[in-house]
Amino acid sequence: MWLVFFKEIKELLRDRKTMFFMVALPILIFPLIIGGAVYVGDKAVKDAESKILKYALVGGELAPIIATELSETDVFERVDIGEETDYKQLIDNETVDFVLVVSSNYSDDVLQNGQAGLQLYLNDAGMNLVHKRVEEITSGESDKLQQRIFEALGLDETAQAALLEPINLEKINVADDRENLGEALGGMVAYIVFILCLQGAMMPAADLGAGEKERGTLETLLISPIERHKLVLGKFLTIAFAGVTTALLTVGSMAIWGIVLSQGMAVEFVMKFMSAISLLDFLLIFLMLIPVVAIFAALLFSLSIYGRSFKEAQSYMGFLMVVAIIPIVFSILPGVELKGGWAWVPLTNIALAIKELIKGTMDYVQLIAIFGSTAAIAGALIAFCIYWFNQEKVLFR
Amino acid sequence: MIEIKNLAKKFAVENPKKLSEQEKKDPRLKGRFFHSVQDVSFSCEQGEVLGLLGPNGAGKTTTLRMLSTALQPNGGSVEINGVNVLENPLIARKKIGFLSGSTGLYGRLTGRENIEYFAALHGIEKNLTAQRIEELANVLDMQNFLDRRCENFSTGMKQKTAIARAVIHQPEVVILDEPTTGLDIMATQTVLDFIKRLKAQKVPVIFSTHHLDEVEELCDAVTVIDQGVTKFNGDINAFKSLANDSLHQAFLNSIRTSSEVTNAPHQELAKEGM
Repeated sequence: MWLVFFKEIKELLRDRKTMFFMVALPILIFPLIIGGAVYVGDKAVKDAESKILKYALVGGELAPIIATELSETDVFERVDIGEETDYKQLIDNETVDFVLVVSSNYSDDVLQNGQAGLQLYLNDAGMNLVHKRVEEITSGESDKLQQRIFEALGLDETAQAALLEPINLEKINVADDRENLGEALGGMVAYIVFILCLQGAMMPAADLGAGEKERGTLETLLISPIERHKLVLGKFLTIAFAGVTTALLTVGSMAIWGIVLSQGMAVEFVMKFMSAISLLDFLLIFLMLIPVVAIFAALLFSLSIYGRSFKEAQSYMGFLMVVAIIPIVFSILPGVELKGGWAWVPLTNIALAIKELIKGTMDYVQLIAIFGSTAAIAGALIAFCIYWFNQEKVLFR
Repeated sequence: MIEIKNLAKKFAVENPKKLSEQEKKDPRLKGRFFHSVQDVSFSCEQGEVLGLLGPNGAGKTTTLRMLSTALQPNGGSVEINGVNVLENPLIARKKIGFLSGSTGLYGRLTGRENIEYFAALHGIEKNLTAQRIEELANVLDMQNFLDRRCENFSTGMKQKTAIARAVIHQPEVVILDEPTTGLDIMATQTVLDFIKRLKAQKVPVIFSTHHLDEVEELCDAVTVIDQGVTKFNGDINAFKSLANDSLHQAFLNSIRTSSEVTNAPHQELAKEGM
């Protein structure tokens, strides 16, 4: 069995295509793609913030302070539009980026004249920060007016606060940081790890089953004096090993890149979160993955050996990928918890248990039941794999 | 020696609608089963080369796969030097060397690693393996490519490696399924020389082929099968005497005459549901 395992691993390590998907993709390509996307997004926001906006002001004489502030800021450039009132046209042909219209009742004395109105015309489809940037200017003026009203009414600070918000509903979260973050991230972690295991095991599985048929090496292997179950187990272990390695490499690289890219505060935050999860929990998470990977490896190998060619096997596996995602998606649906029926759904229960372990709210007795039932399924599938590998109609299709 | 008696193999037909017209007309199709091999018997003595002939679809490959223990027969027996192959396939596999024209190698391993892997599966210790590889590499002239990866080998290099791998455990019988099909002239000659060498070493060789010139050059005995039944068994001279001067005619005659003569066992088998 180990003979088969080590030979397959040796071949796997020499296969550029598989190594690309197993190692290069998670360690270099994914972070590059994600990093690139973050960089581009960040740059777009910065561009929108610093872009010089052309504007037109209608009725500016009614709001001289706002008019002055707009004209004094470098990032705004006033355009004279004369008597033109078709603001949409002006914005569409890019004469201006926005038009600010001051209502006729605008005055400093809001108590007397009512709420002062400003209308901001802009094209709000697509990324822009026009509203936010204009609001920065108007809100300062708004605060000043508010303060003047409070003074005119002679209100002290307590009364001011009460007037602004007569009833204050304060939220006090008793869940600690770990539980909060675990709820948000835990489901995703299980989801990503499962998919990665499946993905990482796919290429070697196709190679070790259907690939042998395609290359014409299967028959020679079948008539070697090695018992079939040892042959199956050796190949099965290789596939499972590839799956786990891919998943661990990816998660590891994501963690390291995350720490490298996000500086200072974020590291502290990540470290705090990580240190809240005990070593035992980490070990348990890893342990829970073992039967899951075994299930994936057994299913993939069964499909692979059924396929007449690499291509045929891969199309079966694509279908398996879709089917396998369903129970995993269940686990990240809101309201799905490790209780009642859900605790008995294979794969879903493991994903939920991993989430609970990350949150630190796992009932360890339940864990044994989940592990046991999943291990039993894995065992049954491996047995099926061995039975399947002994069927002439499968081997010589 | 290797002795095969009344070998039979049937395959379940999963979807009879998918069969071609020709397959539907084949008398071997009985209900849900296709009786690929119905009654094949022959034997091959020490140092003898036996040519297995038959038209396409006659059951040659199925027969050889049963001999090599890749397929399990539904009836009959295979004995190699008195050991029943079917009762203990694991032991039998150590006695058999098998090679076909479509046998592949692991492309990402070197020639040496390919041979070593199968030697290890046969339980041969490393020193002995190294020694045997050295001997085979000299005989087959493989030294200059043995440590290169197989994916870049020419057909000749591949076939030499496959030959070395097939005999690394020094089998008592060598079975070859159309070993020269698809090979160029040089690679074909490598295979033919290899068969001659085995013959000189007194190892019985059974090989199937469509090339009658190979039969004339190498074979001591000939077995013809058609529609899963042995139609002719005898030495090369008896085979030649089926027609004057032409082996091709002899082959055609062997199928024709025997189908007229040996209908009886055919029907008996059908009754037994083999």
